[in-house]
Amino acid sequence: MPNPSPQPPPSTPTPNPLAKFPATIRASHERFLSTRDVAALDAVVLAVVLDHQPAHAKKSGEMIAPDTARLIADLGFDSLALAEIVFFLEDLYKVTITNEELMRITTVGELRAFVRTKVAATRGA
Amino acid sequence: MSREALITGLGFITSIGNDAAAVVASLREGRHGMVPWDYCGNTAVPIKVAAPVRDFAVDSPSWRDWTWPARYSIPRETLRGLAPHGVYAFCALEQALADAGLARTDLTDGGTGLFCASAGSAFMLHHHLAQARASNYERGNPMGVVSSIAGTLNFNLAAHYGITGAVTGFVSACASSSHALGYAMDEIRLGRQTRMIVVGAEELNADTLLPFAPMRALSTNINPATASRPFDTARDGFVGTGGAAVIIVEEASLARKRGARAYAELIGWGQASDGHSVATSHPDGAGLHEAMRRALRDAGVTPAQIDYVSAHATSTPIGDRAEALALRAVFTATDAHPAVSGTKGLTGHGLSMAGAMEAGFCALALRDGFTPGNAHLVNADPACEGLNLPRESLSARPALILNNSSGFGGSNVCHVLRRAAVKKSSSRPNLHHA
Repeated sequence: MPNPSPQPPPSTPTPNPLAKFPATIRASHERFLSTRDVAALDAVVLAVVLDHQPAHAKKSGEMIAPDTARLIADLGFDSLALAEIVFFLEDLYKVTITNEELMRITTVGELRAFVRTKVAATRGA
Repeated sequence: MSREALITGLGFITSIGNDAAAVVASLREGRHGMVPWDYCGNTAVPIKVAAPVRDFAVDSPSWRDWTWPARYSIPRETLRGLAPHGVYAFCALEQALADAGLARTDLTDGGTGLFCASAGSAFMLHHHLAQARASNYERGNPMGVVSSIAGTLNFNLAAHYGITGAVTGFVSACASSSHALGYAMDEIRLGRQTRMIVVGAEELNADTLLPFAPMRALSTNINPATASRPFDTARDGFVGTGGAAVIIVEEASLARKRGARAYAELIGWGQASDGHSVATSHPDGAGLHEAMRRALRDAGVTPAQIDYVSAHATSTPIGDRAEALALRAVFTATDAHPAVSGTKGLTGHGLSMAGAMEAGFCALALRDGFTPGNAHLVNADPACEGLNLPRESLSARPALILNNSSGFGGSNVCHVLRRAAVKKSSSRPNLHHA
């Protein structure tokens, strides 16, 4: 059993952080990058949130988190999982989110609004 | 100390099999796990053989790319904190719990502890640091620490299983999981815990293994059939492997109360250091000699009572010679002639996981009644003169086994395992046999 391909050097950046996401989400990401359509950005943020949601907190069949859903109280996140979402978005959009900013976010809607503002400010779109 | 420590569950994700039945078959038949291996896409690197784990793909730094056998279910929130070798460990632990007849809910009352051993993940550490450095440390993966540093196994597994007893990790290089098992035995004997889970795991990749190449510790033999040949005059270094081994140790009364079948009893252990070199063995194996004596004394047995020694024997020129001399001093010099073999001839060297993996092999040998042989041994090193080195595995049924491990800095750890007594009061067919 020869190994199929040697692993890339670990310093190689992940080619596309969304590679394992549904094609519709990757398309939304591309649409946002080319058109700055914030609705497309919202779709990506929601997908990233749901992707990190703990399995034990997922309700069967529930795939949509309303804007009013609280990330910790309603969706089952802990502070570390929130930090993971933030890192994922930071890495995707090359922004830096501070602890103070993070602590002001409690709901899905606040996260979406925050990312809109942050990404817009950074990209100057 | 009157409390007995019994081995009641085993889990294996190894280059010679991903469950006990496959491992037993490989040990009995001398089937090795070595294959031609390309570590890093650089033909100038002279290390061409390794012993990989099958049926897993964990060679990406992203957990999203990993795959493992479908019979194991790893929740994503657990997966995100794991290193690649943590995936092996998770699966081996699930296997060991099923083998022991334990559920997750049995582990949470404080009676169960968890001792783990790995060197951490150099691969993940490298990846996460490269990511952090790319932003001059402005950004980094929040799971970077817990999925990378030594301790990653105990952090993740204790949290996942809700283990509230003693939890820690051991770092003594290639003696690490042997230390974990020895101290786990003590937790039981001292009455501190009634059940201990011992985990050893490592990953097989360039970042974990190739740093051993400049030390000249790795074999440059390109033939998978002979690259790892402990005690042979032509040995030229070890062959790397990864995987995980899990041993569940229970206090005898708890094990009996819940009707668990014992593979073996852990009856003693000992450790001693060479105090000699940061990396190479004492030329006469002085520390290992003393560790063996201490283990035998702790177990209350004489060298002549030992039927089989599972040698550390990594296939390095210096290490195997030192161990052979230490074995002669303990056994041959007292006219004791146990069978001695190095199973790394089949598995390759699993570094931190080696000691637990091989203690697991000893437990299998005691339960199933066989003695592993010395794979690939053709011409024994003259340093082995007087040692009983069977080439093929024997059907001889051992009752007492000594398991040796040695790590960098001259850390030496030895365990003594005894075939589990069949209690007349509870004699039942051995359903453990997979």
